[in-house]
Amino acid sequence: MPDERTRTEQQNASMLPPDAPIPEMEARGPYERFINWAADLPWWAIILGVVAVIVLYSMLTSAAYRRVLRYLTDSPETSTENLYKAVLVVGERVEIVGEYAGETGDTVVTVINQLLKNEANPTLVSKAGFLVNETPARLTLQTDSGLILLPKDNIVEEEREEIDGKVLVRVTYTQSRTVIGTITAINDKTMRIRTVDEEKETFPTSRVLSREVVETTPCDHEAEPDCQDTQIVTIQRRGETFTGTLTTLSNTNLSIALDDGGSRELKMRDVEYFTVAALTRAFSPDAVERTVTDGDTVRIGYEESDVAEDFLASLSEKDRVRVPLVYSEGEAEVELVRYDDVDALLADTANGELDGMLYIAPGPQHPQVDAWVESHPDANLAELATQVCQSGCRITVKLVDDEITGRVAAEDKDTITVVTTEPEYAEVAQADILERRKMEPGTCALNNLRGCNAGIFLTLRVTFQAYGLALIIGLIVGIMRVQTNPMTFRSKLMQTFFTSASTLYVEVVRGIPLLVILLYAGFVVSPYLRDHPINMPDVLVVVMNAILAVLNAPLKLWNSLGIAYIGDLGTFPDPIRVNLNDEQEAVLGLAFGYGAFVAEIFRAGIQSISRGQMEAARSLGMSYPQAMRYVVLPQAIRTVLPPLGNDFIAMLKDSALISVLALPDLLQLGRLYISRTFRAFEGYNSVAVLYLLMTLFLSMLVRIIERRSRLPG
Amino acid sequence: MSEKKEPIIQVRNVHKQFHTLHGTVHALRGVSMDVMPGEVVLIVGPSGSGKSTLLRCINRLEAVDSGEIIVDGIPLKGARNINKVRAEVGMVFQQFNLFPDRTALDNIILAQRVVRKRSKAEAEEKARYLLAKVGIPEKADVYPGQLSGGQQQRVAIARALAMDPKIMLFDEPTSALDPEMIKEVLDVMLELAREGMTMVVVSHEMGFAKAAADRAVFMDAGQIVEEAPPEILFENPSHERTKLFLSKIL
Repeated sequence: MPDERTRTEQQNASMLPPDAPIPEMEARGPYERFINWAADLPWWAIILGVVAVIVLYSMLTSAAYRRVLRYLTDSPETSTENLYKAVLVVGERVEIVGEYAGETGDTVVTVINQLLKNEANPTLVSKAGFLVNETPARLTLQTDSGLILLPKDNIVEEEREEIDGKVLVRVTYTQSRTVIGTITAINDKTMRIRTVDEEKETFPTSRVLSREVVETTPCDHEAEPDCQDTQIVTIQRRGETFTGTLTTLSNTNLSIALDDGGSRELKMRDVEYFTVAALTRAFSPDAVERTVTDGDTVRIGYEESDVAEDFLASLSEKDRVRVPLVYSEGEAEVELVRYDDVDALLADTANGELDGMLYIAPGPQHPQVDAWVESHPDANLAELATQVCQSGCRITVKLVDDEITGRVAAEDKDTITVVTTEPEYAEVAQADILERRKMEPGTCALNNLRGCNAGIFLTLRVTFQAYGLALIIGLIVGIMRVQTNPMTFRSKLMQTFFTSASTLYVEVVRGIPLLVILLYAGFVVSPYLRDHPINMPDVLVVVMNAILAVLNAPLKLWNSLGIAYIGDLGTFPDPIRVNLNDEQEAVLGLAFGYGAFVAEIFRAGIQSISRGQMEAARSLGMSYPQAMRYVVLPQAIRTVLPPLGNDFIAMLKDSALISVLALPDLLQLGRLYISRTFRAFEGYNSVAVLYLLMTLFLSMLVRIIERRSRLPG
Repeated sequence: MSEKKEPIIQVRNVHKQFHTLHGTVHALRGVSMDVMPGEVVLIVGPSGSGKSTLLRCINRLEAVDSGEIIVDGIPLKGARNINKVRAEVGMVFQQFNLFPDRTALDNIILAQRVVRKRSKAEAEEKARYLLAKVGIPEKADVYPGQLSGGQQQRVAIARALAMDPKIMLFDEPTSALDPEMIKEVLDVMLELAREGMTMVVVSHEMGFAKAAADRAVFMDAGQIVEEAPPEILFENPSHERTKLFLSKIL
């Protein structure tokens, strides 16, 4: 067989010697080199690295990190926490000494609450005094012991009485108070909190109609000779006027695109009047029924005005009206007749001189037309109608006049600024603070990672749980889907059933968006399970209760000893009620949706292992499950590790969808932050960066595991 | 070998068909054959003649359509525990089929532990002994991917031997090897034959046939055409078909 031999020899010459090592692929970039380096580390070093990342994250979310942030930026405002409210309970410290009189068997919580019962409601104080000043946040009273300032939150009871034109107020209030507000300054000893935000308005002086001083608070001229008295004024203002292009017009709303590029939404009840082009149209009674014929002339009259000329120009520009009118049978002409006077226009239309008329003028009504129609009751005008422009026209809007009360903060030739609500501050000594209530939820942002923790952990927890479940589903379905030789199943029918059932699952689930599956899990499956308890067969209940009774006996004995109560296993539930919470719904939905993809990966992995492996294992006397377990699956898992890792990362990202089940995951927290601060850019940046950090970290781990599981040779 | 009365493998009028998308292939058409204990039988024949199918039927990697195969006194059809029969029949494949994720040593240990339930120490001792026997004791901790084809096939033989089989089936053990490695595998097989192992070998290695085979069987189109001692079959075949085939391969 000379031919074949030569060929084999040629092949050999071109191949590498069999024992030569295959050259390693060169690592291309620093990332690849890092992965290669990390993959060669021992397992404990990699675990240490993962722990280090977690520790680093904990440090970043700690109070220390925020102190550094505060130090670096030298501003307490940078912390997101301060963008929201700080809640402090300020009062005198009370040492609690009490005697406990409770019952044995009470929990520690009950004991402490019992002890604190009297202290939890701080002593109430009753006082009476004349009202000096009142703001939305507090009262100032003149009492026999001097002026007292009471935050309204602390007042439990209040009674008012008028005596000689003065208001006598009897109040019962708590001595500790709760300060809620935005922290504006902090040092070691005190904290300055803005409890009421300032509200002010700036408007042009041209709008001012009249001004009246309502109240004057004299300032301390002795301390500050140059100071000016604080005056509270009420200013009558002319309503604003806007000019622009009408966008929408309805009975309640009006929106216009302003000439300077902005836009305004206005409520009709704030509008005093508006002018917009309106079109009155009428026909001569003869013209309504007339058919235009070839060579005919249609005479249309209009009143000379800029609006009308513009309108006609725009009509011809848009090519809606062709003069002369062109008909399929021939040509007819339109003659546009200009009138100087509306009355003449109407009269000529009524007597048939004109076939029709157009009258365009500003304002929603056309009183001139109405007046003419009223004074000519015999005139015969057909289809007389006035139509207000709905959009695209020039419009001028005048708002109703209003008034504003407050302190004039700034005034110059053009503008005036009136402060309607004065800001109020509370100075709190750090030492007086009894309790700080943190408002962390909803403040998830990059500079306040602690607020994100709950979301991150929820996202990770749901992903890990769902992925674990998806792996189980995928492995079972994947093995079911592998069509091997008849060795797999004893009966042909079983094999057909398993393969079709698994194929059905994979194809159906892969064809439905994950979002829809999640919504099914949350709003279809879960309510169904909740409303339909599963009835157990009586035999099972009896047997299970017997088993539980045996198991409970020693527990009950222990409980009866009175050393410590550990409870018992109870009885077997019948019927079983499955009540899933939101998180379980999300886990089930994600796992069910991803099980199909994981199954396909496993199927491909198992099928990628050559048939010879199974045959070799079976020829050694292994059963099918043994061969699967010891030979095929270990190799298949090596093959499927990279795609499984990719799927895991994909699932981490897709877990953002669970926010539709009202779960406070990372995305939901970010959205909450945005809805409170209206900082969409910052909020979504935080969410994106955190997801990115998680996926980068995980994909690095996946790459390392992948490299480590690579076979030598 | 005629002093032993009972044949260890009895093949009785076996038929086997493969149903593929492109039609039905009648791979075996009434094959009957006996193999005595300690006998070395060589099966030759052109491609597609059913040699490998016959071999795979003997340890039931393929089920037969009709006829009967009795291995070591146990009829394969309806055998309760086919795995028990398989454990007694070692098989060596053309493509080696070593487990690539296990070292040479672990390849040999695995089935001993799983099927024979041997202790770890016992299995390892056996594995090392067999590796030494096939001449590569130093490759114990090497993965198959790092071995040459000849070395892999020798590990595969050792893996089959570790089960202490009564019969060894070789399915073209040298066909996927480079010529320079064929000898090392054949040496191991010759050694086995000398020790009295019952072997059924599908191969075209004339050297091995002449040195070790007791009988040679020529198959064509799913039937046994001729069987005779190898020197007679190869040098003086009685059938025209055999002559034609031999004229092509020699």
